Amino acid sequence: MSQSEMSRARRHLETTKKMKEMLPRFFMRMMERKFSNEPVAWCMVGIPPELLKAFDLLFEWPENFGTMCASRQVAPHFIEVAENDGYSPELCSYVTNTMGYCKLYRERGEAPEESPLPGGMGNPAMLLGSGFVCEPRWKWFQSIATRFFDIPIYCTDPLAPPWDIDPHDPRIEEHYLTLLREDLAGQIEFLEKQTGKKLDLGHLREIMERSHEALAYWRDTLALRKAIPSPMGSTDYFHAIIPQMYLVGDEDAVEFYREMYEEVKDRVERNIGVVEDEKYRLIWFGLPPWFNMGLFNYLESLGAVVAYESTYNVGDHFEVDLSDPLEAIVRRTWQRALKMHEYGSETMPELCNPAVFGGFSGSSLLEELVNDYSLTGGLMHLTRSCRAVSFGEVHTRNMLAKMNVPSLIFESDMADPRFWSDAQIKTRLHAFLETMDKARQRGEIDEL
Amino acid sequence: MSSNRFQFNQHSFTTAENENLVQHLKERTKKPVIGYLCCFAPPEIISAAGAIPYRITGRPGRDTSAADAYVEPYGCTYVRSILARAAEGELDFLDGLVISHSCDMVQRLYGIWTYYHPLDFSYLFNVPHQLTPWARDFFKRELGFFRENVEHFTGQKVSTGQLQETINLYNKNRSLIRKIYKLRKYDRPPVEGSEVFEILMAGGVLPPEEYTGFLESAVHDFKRREAAKEKVPRIMIWGSIMDSPVLYKIIEEAGGKVVCDDTCIGFRTWEKDVPSTEDPYDGLTEHYFINFQCPRTNRGPGVGRFNYLLERAREYKVDGVVGYIISFCDPHKFDYPDLRDYLKEAGLPMVLIDDNYSFEPAEAIKTRLEAFIEML
Repeated sequence: MSQSEMSRARRHLETTKKMKEMLPRFFMRMMERKFSNEPVAWCMVGIPPELLKAFDLLFEWPENFGTMCASRQVAPHFIEVAENDGYSPELCSYVTNTMGYCKLYRERGEAPEESPLPGGMGNPAMLLGSGFVCEPRWKWFQSIATRFFDIPIYCTDPLAPPWDIDPHDPRIEEHYLTLLREDLAGQIEFLEKQTGKKLDLGHLREIMERSHEALAYWRDTLALRKAIPSPMGSTDYFHAIIPQMYLVGDEDAVEFYREMYEEVKDRVERNIGVVEDEKYRLIWFGLPPWFNMGLFNYLESLGAVVAYESTYNVGDHFEVDLSDPLEAIVRRTWQRALKMHEYGSETMPELCNPAVFGGFSGSSLLEELVNDYSLTGGLMHLTRSCRAVSFGEVHTRNMLAKMNVPSLIFESDMADPRFWSDAQIKTRLHAFLETMDKARQRGEIDEL
Repeated sequence: MSSNRFQFNQHSFTTAENENLVQHLKERTKKPVIGYLCCFAPPEIISAAGAIPYRITGRPGRDTSAADAYVEPYGCTYVRSILARAAEGELDFLDGLVISHSCDMVQRLYGIWTYYHPLDFSYLFNVPHQLTPWARDFFKRELGFFRENVEHFTGQKVSTGQLQETINLYNKNRSLIRKIYKLRKYDRPPVEGSEVFEILMAGGVLPPEEYTGFLESAVHDFKRREAAKEKVPRIMIWGSIMDSPVLYKIIEEAGGKVVCDDTCIGFRTWEKDVPSTEDPYDGLTEHYFINFQCPRTNRGPGVGRFNYLLERAREYKVDGVVGYIISFCDPHKFDYPDLRDYLKEAGLPMVLIDDNYSFEPAEAIKTRLEAFIEML
């Protein structure tokens, strides 16, 4: 790997390009508060972000920090610091990136200057973890609180029924809902204690209303990508998660997703695609290589557009009664579990929390997506340091093969560019596109 | 060493022999065999429902390519080994399967295994990661669902009295195992670590009442033995699952003596009794959820979560700790730097063997361990 092989993403939508103006304003506001010594919570995807807003808490997402460090090519430095401290290169590179940052912070008494943002993530006053998606996520915060910062910590623990248990059985439903309710209550109790504030349910409801409004626009935007040519590609998709992470429940976020929806709708009406001559429509599985998001533009230069992604969905929109906002949080989590169950959750039963990210599971969901989005192939990024998201790719490949949809599994990582092999990956991508050509010649996949 | 090794009806308790034995048991008793992985779903419930609980094991070092058709190459090699065995039909003697939501990989193995190779009975025993009061309640309810499902499969109801009796049987075995461990506290222990390990492996296959007899003979035999001839460095093994005595034997060959461990087929399972409670499901929850020391369960931040290890090391007069972690075993890999530093501060050296569930290259592992043991 050399730096010259890495390229940053070129976006297609005006709305996502505008984030460059919107986000710095937001980050500046955050920084001002940080510099006045307001406590910062380090958070993990999977905790309901609306709660953070309801407590008016300053927060950072170390996972997102990992993506930023990767895209600015500084992650290897932090990762190597962590590895020298004894953390295995097999561990999640978002984790090792953070551990390196923490170690340097402790040594220097301030945020390492290598950080992509001035002041980096600062230092945490509390940790809000989650067992959603994988166990390294809560182990990560346990390690931070053991090794670097002796601060209070709460980890949510959402569970969902396995694929062969009927979640509609009222006793099973109650079994899981009870856990989800009590876990949420525990989280609120923790936040009230740490912030000294009482949760204002009315305020939370308003935030959730705006958050759900944004999610509805997001859902409708994704549906527009069924159009041929696809009006939106992965470079816009993966960057569009940021407003829902940082500005959840803000009018700014609703506005952002509304504008994005309108722009994409307009592109569909005017038949404007990401690729002029769209030859291949792909579904992307796994985390993206954040250090080389230009990969998607490279694919586009070959006539291949990603019309659907399995990860980093900003969240599913579920119709839930918001009159009791706490029950609404529990119910949308459960609804996601039900939806996943309906689609077949044999690879990831615990992936049930829709708080921020969607994620993917389910063999029958694939069939629906292949048909609705006119997909011609699957591209699977096998991330060595994230088995949680990679798990199921072979199974998914088997399912796609049953539908005569070719797929390619290629190996690298989401934040650690040391695993990137440019020439090898591009050779394999070219060969894969040829496979789709041949499948089309044999009539196994449709002409676009 | 072998002439002095404990023998029981000419059996040794390696994976292959255990599998032969369980199949004989199945023929003899006409009971179904329910295979299980990890230590959360209590075998007591399987036994009380009239089935034979069988601890499934992998085959260290053997080719796992049969798993490639179903799972990715990056992942716990132990789990891949088990899936490869299932794919190759080696585990077809199982009538049922119980997998606990212990770590991510084991939990996901359940879905893939049962999707591609369904069994007559299968159950994912779901386990929270946090030790909160509501997680505890969830675990207890899960025990009830598990019991119902096993009952439905075997057609045999489990009364509270029967369950308590079965728990008592297992507890008796636990106390016998602790007697064997106690002998290892001597300055010159009369038993080898690898020998004790094989005895523990027998616990994964023998019905509890037969295991009692087996253990009683072992205790009897060991107590009559002379102390070891010389004092050698005393080792504790900590880490990922180990279902073969290979590492124990390498340590012995390298000049050390394994006197205790913190592994799941080892002392984590046998250290304590299931507490006697009015409602046996409370005791089972206490034992299998609260007390069971696997790093997949959150015992809070801070090195205080390792205190039990240091206490054990002192109790057994341990000179050094050998850490053993299987590739991609996240829960142990996360804990390693903290544990290493904690032990170092307490004056206890630690060496880490990072292995892909093959114990290869054995010579290189042995050389590292020889250097470590020499240093002690």
